Formats: sequence, structure tokens, C-alpha cells
Amino acid sequence: MTEGFLQEQRTLEGDLNSENSHQNSVDFLMNWFRKRSIFVLAYGTGCGAIEMPPTFTSRYDAERLGIRGAATPRQADVIIVSGYCSYKTLRRIIRTYEQMSNPKYVLALGSCTVNGGMYWDSYNTIKKLEDYMPVDMYVNGCMPRPESILEGFIQLQKDIGNGKASSWQKYEENYEFYRKNQEAVLGEKVAPSYEADWYLYDGGL
Amino acid sequence: MDLSIYGLTEIILSLKATNLANFFAMLVAFSFVIVTFLTKNYKLKKSFYALFLLLTASLFLIVYANDYLLFFIGWEIMSITTYFLLSFTLSKKTLHKYIIFAMASALSMFIAILILYSSNHSFLYADAHQSFKALGDIEEFIFIVLMLFTIFIKIGTIGFHYWLVDAYEESQNLFTPFFSAVLSKMGIYALIILLTQVVDITYPLAIIGVITSIIATFKAIQEDSIKRLLAYSSIAQLGYIVTVLGVYDGMGGALYHSLIHTVVKLLLFINIAGIIFVTGRSKFSELGGLLYKTPQSFVLLLIGIITLAGMPPLGGFSSKFMIYTSLMDAKYLLILSAIMFSSASAFLYIYKLIYGIYLGHPTNKKLESVKEVPISFLIPQYILAIVLIALGMFPALVVPYFNAILNELNLKTIEFSNYATLTTSFAEFNGLVIISAFGTIFVVLLLVFVNLKTKVKDVKNRFDVAYCGEEPDEATHLHYGYSMGKELQRVGFINTILKNSVKYFYDYIAKQTLNFSDILKKIYSGQLNINFNIAIIFAIILLWWSTK
Amino acid sequence: MIILDLLLMFLVAYLTGFLYYGLYRNITARFQRRYGPPVYQSFVDSIKFFTKEDAISHGWMFYLGPIIMMSGAVMTLFFIPLFNIGESFRGLSEYGNLFVVLYLLVLGPLGNALGVGAGGNPFGVMGVTRGLTRLFAMEMPFYIAVIAIMSLSQSADIATIASHQETYNAFAYPLLFIGALFSFIGMMGQSPFDVIGAPVEVYSGPASEFSGKFLALLMSQSAIFTFAKLVLMVHLFLGGADGFLELLTKTFILFLFVIAFGSMYGRFKTPQSVDFLLKVPSTIAVVGLILATWS
Repeated sequence: MTEGFLQEQRTLEGDLNSENSHQNSVDFLMNWFRKRSIFVLAYGTGCGAIEMPPTFTSRYDAERLGIRGAATPRQADVIIVSGYCSYKTLRRIIRTYEQMSNPKYVLALGSCTVNGGMYWDSYNTIKKLEDYMPVDMYVNGCMPRPESILEGFIQLQKDIGNGKASSWQKYEENYEFYRKNQEAVLGEKVAPSYEADWYLYDGGL
Repeated sequence: MDLSIYGLTEIILSLKATNLANFFAMLVAFSFVIVTFLTKNYKLKKSFYALFLLLTASLFLIVYANDYLLFFIGWEIMSITTYFLLSFTLSKKTLHKYIIFAMASALSMFIAILILYSSNHSFLYADAHQSFKALGDIEEFIFIVLMLFTIFIKIGTIGFHYWLVDAYEESQNLFTPFFSAVLSKMGIYALIILLTQVVDITYPLAIIGVITSIIATFKAIQEDSIKRLLAYSSIAQLGYIVTVLGVYDGMGGALYHSLIHTVVKLLLFINIAGIIFVTGRSKFSELGGLLYKTPQSFVLLLIGIITLAGMPPLGGFSSKFMIYTSLMDAKYLLILSAIMFSSASAFLYIYKLIYGIYLGHPTNKKLESVKEVPISFLIPQYILAIVLIALGMFPALVVPYFNAILNELNLKTIEFSNYATLTTSFAEFNGLVIISAFGTIFVVLLLVFVNLKTKVKDVKNRFDVAYCGEEPDEATHLHYGYSMGKELQRVGFINTILKNSVKYFYDYIAKQTLNFSDILKKIYSGQLNINFNIAIIFAIILLWWSTK
Repeated sequence: MIILDLLLMFLVAYLTGFLYYGLYRNITARFQRRYGPPVYQSFVDSIKFFTKEDAISHGWMFYLGPIIMMSGAVMTLFFIPLFNIGESFRGLSEYGNLFVVLYLLVLGPLGNALGVGAGGNPFGVMGVTRGLTRLFAMEMPFYIAVIAIMSLSQSADIATIASHQETYNAFAYPLLFIGALFSFIGMMGQSPFDVIGAPVEVYSGPASEFSGKFLALLMSQSAIFTFAKLVLMVHLFLGGADGFLELLTKTFILFLFVIAFGSMYGRFKTPQSVDFLLKVPSTIAVVGLILATWS
């Protein structure tokens, strides 16, 4: 696949003034609850981790929007991929992402997740996060300031409220595509064998 | 039934079936029947069966005796048959420890009985109180000390427990339930006889009981071997009984706790015997993760543990409640605080017991192919669990029986209104309401919970835990909690309790005895001429003295 | 009728507990010079977890753990009467007494410990171990104070203890109240005794494997349990309450004190907190006991 600057560019812009899509009232209510309370996994993957503490503490208080930190992936809704992903980190990010429970959202910070950014010709990082994980919202910058991150969160909340943030369904439906890409960079044992059971078979209680 | 032996006209031996004796005899018989269920699984020599029957017969003799001489005969037979029963599996060192302590206890009891006989020339219980009052002050003190020495060795009070823990650990898994549940009750019976027939000791006994239970609880938390943990737990529970016997009106609580302790210890030790039988290992660091392979054992151990902790739905709370209210009535408030403290500390080793065996992860590959324990282990546990649940639902089920015992001993009886409410002079509670409320709430919540929208997926592999993005595998140390309790050594106050041990004291005594016997060897050295000379000198001294 | 009584008690506890948690986040935020979330935020959090699509489980024992915990919390609530006069909101308190309530306080956490152990996450077990270690030290001053109060009121019935106080026990026997307050701060899960569920210390301890509706159940039981413990403290030390307004005022004042204390202090390590709780508050409570009951 072509990567980095060689692939065709598209603009993916969010619009804060978009109208609500049509949903029935049960879905509307559920999405309202989901958007009002967001638990972010406390996992700083790259250089954007330095911008997360100011966002969540007193000065740029993200708790007003209902956003708070969660300790384990089991409890979290949103995982923030905050910057470049080396192959080593990508393995852990994917494992953590698969341990979260649906519905889950991915917020990608910085230009490294869009097209490789500063490390566009590195031998050890990935250039386009969308090939390995579905992403709901990108926030541009190198690194984005807390105000930008908050605007990204507000846009994410709007998308959740509209029902448009459905990357987790995209992951389930296109699992073979994502898995093929992951195996291409991480080797065959990208995840323990018991992980694929989630997406290939249905484990019931 | 009256037995009389002619020829020695001053000594009368008799048996009497008092209500108290019937109660303890029933405990012995019940335990005997329960333990015989297990004999199917072990290859035992014929001598084992003979000794076991002789042991039970001696226990009946102890309980039904109406005078101290028959009591002592039964006690001696019990000690000696236990020695032979233990000799099948105990190491020589532990066996020596046991027999020295048992002989010391028997000897001191014999001296105490003879002191009592010397004042009134009668061994009967009925004359014991007058005999005691007719003694001088020094003899009273010696008598109490010697009798308590005997009883504390048997019960395993801290300070005299040196033999007990090792003996429980190394004895056969078949015999340990009986050993722990019943033989310690003989010490309790001796203490009850002492307190009701002879003399009443109140506050010092309560203090000794409290110290025992606190120290034993903390020592139990540290253990890695399952049977040692249960041995210390046994000591702690008996400490509760000793404490409540130190209160004047505490007999009801003591009887109830004896009953509960017998049933619970049988349940726990039989459960452990089943697990050791199936896996062949008896330490927490080698077990783990047996929950879904032996689910029935897990549920039965859970019932035992809830009772041991004294939690409301099951029977353990009833006995603890009686103990607490007796102490509250007698205004022993500091003792009550210490007992509640010991009871709260017990939660640690209780959780360690069930976590180390059933929860967590298996520590080696062989544990993954374990099947359920044989049915002959499960049947006695089910019977005992039903008894505990019944006592939880109807805590006053045994109160009429206890009132008969208390009437006979001329103590205050327990009020009785209906089977479900346990009433003491301080407070009351209704066991049926508690357990049915808990059951109803649980079922309602379960129904509501199951019908919620969320789909619950069962992880297929036990390694799928949230482990900070890493993937644990066979080599990762996941059965973390088996060594819980070791961190208590970092607390200063508790560390001073745990660091000290009676081992040094007894080693010191042993060394001094050896030194003394070295000195004696110089006199009695085995050479014939020296012995002859000593005998002649001795005879001269005796003859000279008898002519004075 | 009693079923309606119990349902209403449950609803009151649920709503008030969550409201207090929302207020807690708001008040702590104001201490930290920021605005916090809206007051209804805790409701929204728990309902969001109910709307999760899936949750994982590690077998039937893991599944039943939170349910046992919730049953324990609800049972504790039912055995504490809300008011000390009147016939309504009595719950099941006439069938039990203070000893029953003291033991029911531990039933829920033990059920949770079983579920966490069945889950197999070593961080969860770490949290449970710390919790149990902290438990016996934390309960010691509380038990001493409760025993003293029971002996002074000559009764183990909570409503009787609450209504027999002419001056509140907190002012008549201040040493007992101080000793019990230290334990109470630990029971509410506030600093400096809150190391067991700390997100950064121990990967959130017992809650580490629970997701989806299990976590919602844990949050709900936390709210109900908090309310039950607050009402118990009010009955024991602050004279109980005659009506809703008085009950809410007293519980809120106590809650405010506890969270103000908690937001000021850092955390103790587990051996440090055991050491502290066994020395300072226990001694205070013992001295208070001796002074109160010596005559």
C-alpha cells in the first residue's frame, strides 16, 4: 500500500453545526447518555501524552463536559492515540483496544496518525492509523493544545449524539482487513490466539 | 448406670448421663459418623480402625464420668490412643512433642485430682465444691493452676500450643477432622466441669481467651500450608469459647459456639481432605484455580467460611451473637472490643483459604486436569452444610436443649419464644427474616440483572485479563494472592506478635533438662559399683531417719 | 405495607446516594479551583454503563459477585431505620439489631472479593488484599465506639439508641466520636485511607475486570451503601432524625466534612494506615470508652 505523502489526501472535517440525523427516541436517549459521560483510558501512547494532564486538570477542566479518566480498558469508552505509534506500541494499543467493551471510540491526536507526520520515513512507526484501527475523530496539530483537544471532544460528543460515531461496528465488520494489516507489520502473532475469538466466533455466557 | 468397685471402700466410681454429658456425647457420635464416610478413600490398616473405636469409647468415658477418677482414666486412654493413631504419619519430632505435652497434661491433672481427694476423700463431682472450699489457700492456687495447665494444653492456648499445629499438619487427612473438632471439645468439657462444679474463675480466663484468639488469628494469616492455617484458626475459635466461659452467664454462648465450631471444623477439614486427595498438594502456593473444576466443593467451603466468619445468613452469627451479648451484659467492654477485633481480623485468613485453593489461577499444569472430588467426600459436607443453614434460619432451634442443660447446672436460662428468633437479655434477632430477605433480594436482583440489554460474553481463556496491554502466559505469576498476609509483617505492632514464638522458650527448657540430666548422669552413671554404693548410703540414711 | 416501605427506602437511598456523589464531584472541583460536572453526572455515568452493548465475564462466580455485593448493600439499608419515630421507613429493623448491621457491612465486600478472585486479575486481588488488611484496622475504633454507645444506651436497637440521646452523642462523648470519625473516613473511601481502589496505585483494584453492567451495579451499590453508612452514623452520634429535611441536613453535613477531609490529604500506604488506625484512633476511642463507662 502506498503510505505517507504518496497517498491521496482527503479532508475529514467535523462540523460543529451539523444537524441531528434521524434516530428513534430510544437510540436518541441512549446516545444522549453515552455522550454525556465519557471515560477516557488513562494511557498516553506518544508525545501527546503531555497534553492530556492539562486537559483533565484544573485549568482546562474537561470534567465539565462529563469526561473523566478510567484506569482499565474494561471501564473505558474512549482511547486516545496521542501521537506516533511505533510497532511496539501498536501491539499494545491494539490489544488494549480489543479489550474495551462496545461502544468504544478512538480519538487520534496529531499528524502522525494521519499521514506519518514528523516520522514519515521512519522504519519503525506506522504511517496511517486508519489501516490498523478505525478512528472516530482526528485532532490536528503537533501536538494539539488542550483547547483543540476539548474541541475535538465536543465534536466527538456531537457525533455520538447523532449516532455517526460507529467505528466499533466498522472494526467488527471489517475485522479480516484490519487483522491482515496488523499481521503485515507485527508478524503473525499479533495478538494471543484467544483474542480473535471475540471477532471470529461468538462467545456466549 | 451406676458402677461400684468393691474392695476400696472409699473410692466410688460412677457414670451419669447428665444433659451436659449427653450434649457432648452427641457431638462425639455425630463426628464419628461423619468421619467414617471418608474411610472408603484411604487404605487403612486394621489397627487404625481398632484404635479409632477405642478412642471414641474413651471419649464417651470422659463425658459420662461422674467422678474425677473415671474422667482421668478416660483422659489417659484418649491421649495414648491418639498417640498411636498419630504415629502412623507423624514425624518423630512432632510425635515426641505431642507425647511430652500429653503426658505433662495428664500428670498435672492427676496431681490436681489427688489434691482435691486429699481434702474430702472423694472423687465425685458432687463433693468437689466442698472439697475445694476445705482446702487451704496455697493448695487452692496449685489446684487451679494445674487443672488450667491441663486444659490449656488440650485446647491449645497460646503458650501451650507448641504441639498442636504440627500435629494437625502431619496427621492423616482422615483423622484431622476428628482430632480438631472433637478432641479439643474434651478440653472444653473439662473446663466446664471445673467452672460449674468446683470454682468460678472469671476475668483472668477471659483475658487469656482474648490473647489466644488475637495472636492465633494473626499467626493463621501468615501460613502457607492449608492445614496449619486451619490449626491456628481452631485455636482462635477455642479462644472465643474460653473467653465467654470467663463470664458468669456465658454458658449458653459457649455451648452454642462449641456446636458450631465442631460442625464447621468438620466441614472445613473434610473439604481440605477432598482437595488434597484429588490434587495431591497441600500448600496454597501449589494450588489455585480449582473453582470451575470442583464447583460443589467450592460452594460447600463457601458455606463453611461464611459460618467461620460469623456472618448473618448462616449459623455462625448466632453463636457469635450470644457471645457478644453475654460479654455486653457482664460489662466486659474492653474484652468485647478485643474479641470483635479478632473476629474482624479473621476475614483475612478466611479469604486466603478460599482464594488460595479455588480462585485465582492454577499454578501448574497438572491442576488443569483435576476432576471433582469423590462423592464420599461430598456427602458428609452436604449434611454439615444443611445443619449450618438450618441453624442460620432457625437460630433458636437448639435453645430448648440448651435450656435443659442450663437448668440442670442452675444457671440462667435463655428466653425462648419461637424457633426463628434468638433472644438474649440484651437484644434479639430473627434468623428466618434475615435469610429470606437476603434470598429474596438476591433473586430479584438476579432476575432484573439478567434481563438487561447488555450481552455478556464469557472469556474463553483464563489469560484474557486486563494486564496493562501485555499478554500474560503460563510463566507469568498470576496466582498472586496466595501469599497475602505477609505484608502484615511491615506493621510494627503486629510484627512484634509474629516475631516471637514459644519455640525458643521450649528449646531453652529442653536444654536445661538435658544439662540437669548430664549432672545426674555423673551420679547414676550405670556402673554397678557406684550404684551399689549409692543404694547402701541411701539405705543407711533412711534407716537413721526412721529411727529418729 | 412492608414491600412498599422497602421499595421506597431503596429509591430514597438510590437517588440520594447518587445526588451526593454528584455533589461530591462538584464540591471537590470547587476546592480545586474549577467548575465540576453537573450535579446529575453520577446518574448519567451509571446509566451509560447500562447502555453498553456487551460486557465480559469470567464464569458464574464472577457474574454473581456484584450481585452479592448489591444484595449486601441493600440488606444493610433495610436493617437501618431512616427515622427514629413513626412507623414508616422502618424497613426490617425490628428483626435485627446493631450487631446484625455491623456484620452486614462486611457481607457485600466479601461477595465482591469472591467475584474479583474468580476473575483472576492479579491487580484485583491486590486491591482486595489491601481492602481486607485495612478492614480490621479500620473497624477497631468504630467497634469500640459502637460498643460504648450500646452499653450506655443499654440497647442494641438503632432506633432506641437514636431517640435516647438528649444531647447528641457526638457532643456528650466527643472522644468516641473522634475515634469513630477516623474509621468513618476510611469507610467512605476517602483519603488518607483510600488506597484500595486507587486508579493509579493498583489499577483500580477490585473494579479492574468489571465492565458494562457489572460496573453500573458496582456504582449503584456504592451509592446505596454510602447512604446507609451515613444514616447509621447519624443515628449513632447525631441523634437520628424525625423527618426528611433533618435527615438530609445531618447526613449532608457529615458527608461534607468527610469529603473536605479527604480532599486535603494524600494517601497512606496500607501498612501505614493499619499502623495509624491501630494506634491513634483506637487509643482515643479506648480512652473515651473508659471515661464514658467508668461510673
